Amino acid sequence: MRRRTAGALAAWAGAAVLVALGGRALTGHDPAAVGATPWAGPEPGLPLGADGLGRDVLSRVLAGGQDLTLTALAAALTASALGVAGGLWAGWNRGRLSRAAAATADLLLALPLLLLALLAVVALPGPAAVIAGTVLGGTPLTLRVVADATAGARHAGYVEAALARGERGASVLMREVLPAHAGIIGADLAQRFVLSVQLAVALNVLGFGPAPPAPDWAAMLRENLPGLGLNPAATIVPALALAVLTGSFAALSHALTSRDGAP
Amino acid sequence: MFQLPRPAGVPVRAALLLAAASVVIFLCTAALPGDAADVLGGGRATAEELARLRAEQGLDRPLPVRYLDWLSGVLTGEPGVSLITGRPVAELVAERAAVTLALAVAALALGLPLTTALAWAAVRGPRWARPAVNTLIVTGAALPQAVVAAALVAWLSTAWGAFPPVSMLPAGEPPWHRPDLLVLPVLTLALPTAAYGAALLRGAIADVVAQPYVRDAELRGLSPVTVLFRYVLPMVAAPATRLFAVLLGGLVAGTAVVEILFGLAGLGELLVTAISTRDVPVVQNVALLAAAVVVAGLLVADAAAPEAVRS
Repeated sequence: MRRRTAGALAAWAGAAVLVALGGRALTGHDPAAVGATPWAGPEPGLPLGADGLGRDVLSRVLAGGQDLTLTALAAALTASALGVAGGLWAGWNRGRLSRAAAATADLLLALPLLLLALLAVVALPGPAAVIAGTVLGGTPLTLRVVADATAGARHAGYVEAALARGERGASVLMREVLPAHAGIIGADLAQRFVLSVQLAVALNVLGFGPAPPAPDWAAMLRENLPGLGLNPAATIVPALALAVLTGSFAALSHALTSRDGAP
Repeated sequence: MFQLPRPAGVPVRAALLLAAASVVIFLCTAALPGDAADVLGGGRATAEELARLRAEQGLDRPLPVRYLDWLSGVLTGEPGVSLITGRPVAELVAERAAVTLALAVAALALGLPLTTALAWAAVRGPRWARPAVNTLIVTGAALPQAVVAAALVAWLSTAWGAFPPVSMLPAGEPPWHRPDLLVLPVLTLALPTAAYGAALLRGAIADVVAQPYVRDAELRGLSPVTVLFRYVLPMVAAPATRLFAVLLGGLVAGTAVVEILFGLAGLGELLVTAISTRDVPVVQNVALLAAAVVVAGLLVADAAAPEAVRS
């Protein structure tokens, strides 16, 4: 039952990412083209109306998720890969060095994610700052989760059996420990994705995202909020798109962890 | 979830944390392509003028010297002067602190009880409501702040005409003169914070509720509220105070988004403007102030957590 829920949620989340990435190909108009009446409501040819500069909202929504989703995917995968590698190592060798790594990770956790990303954006372009912020703030969390799971598996029967067969530590980690914790790691990856979307949205709303004529869901929220009374769709549709993207990954993460019995 | 290493005393750890934060902040701002002289020169200055500006600002000195110079300035209360406006940073911060403080305090005052209520409802609410509350917590914590802001403006401001969607608070006016302007920003901060907090607190409450003395109290017929306040909340005090520190950290940075979206002139808006105009002294000091607030929150959490319940 739970497995089926997680599978359905994974398919749904994957579809959300595909739509966000591929929507640009479906646009009929140039998303940056100006032409309609500012804040025009929905009408034939303009299904979602226009924004404050008279640009087609539907085209901007279709095209506005690509950069954000790509950035968030890159950030989540980087943070997760580093965290899984570090966690496997730290959990397997519970030594002084791995404790030092855990302490450094805790130090990073004390600083808020958005503050780290804002500092990174001083020196880096927006997408790079999202990746830097997610890695600095997310990798320590992944590392701790994976290290705990690995340390717990260190003396489990299936690991000791593999070691007794004469397999090397690294191969036991890759072939036995990693697959056994795929659920936890997948849930953690989904959580990293949610965090990096939140971070990307915050930075883009603050004006550190793509340069103005480029369409972006987060920037649309800031641009179109003052015109909410005139054309609500210009704000509500990109807000819904972001809510579906983050909500489906959060639900997937929740389904995966509760199946494994973790809180 | 909130275990931090305790190699030294709490104040030592806080000082180390703050020192590390100041180094990170300084290195990030020092890594700027171009420097303060380019900002002051406005992009049209000749090479000689730039060199003169650099010498005036002390930018030709080595990095460690500049770092120590900044640090001693912070410690003696003279952290620097804005490159753009020429005004002391301390003055700019003092002018805007009230808005951010009002937002953060109100958001915490609303968010903490809401966190507790949500976490309790997820663990001990009516059985039929628990899945719904859990879904609310999971998806609520995942929503980007700007999405919450858009939803609240659409619902409360546009549909009901209840609160001004974009506030225009005159600079320097205390925010409590216009509390109606703060309602939407505070809700935007408090609601996702409460969902996030509840997601973290839920597990701790579930652990305590499983204890035999809680079931005893329930069987004795005590009301759920009495059980919550007398038997459950005291036992989750340690994780809850650390949770408070984590939420405070999120709020400190999160106010930036809310201030920009709702047009409030607070510290977050100051930081964001300074980053986009590359006003390095302002960025450094506001970021350090934010880090200091987070560290102070962690200190309070450590001091408040009773020794016996520490995990």
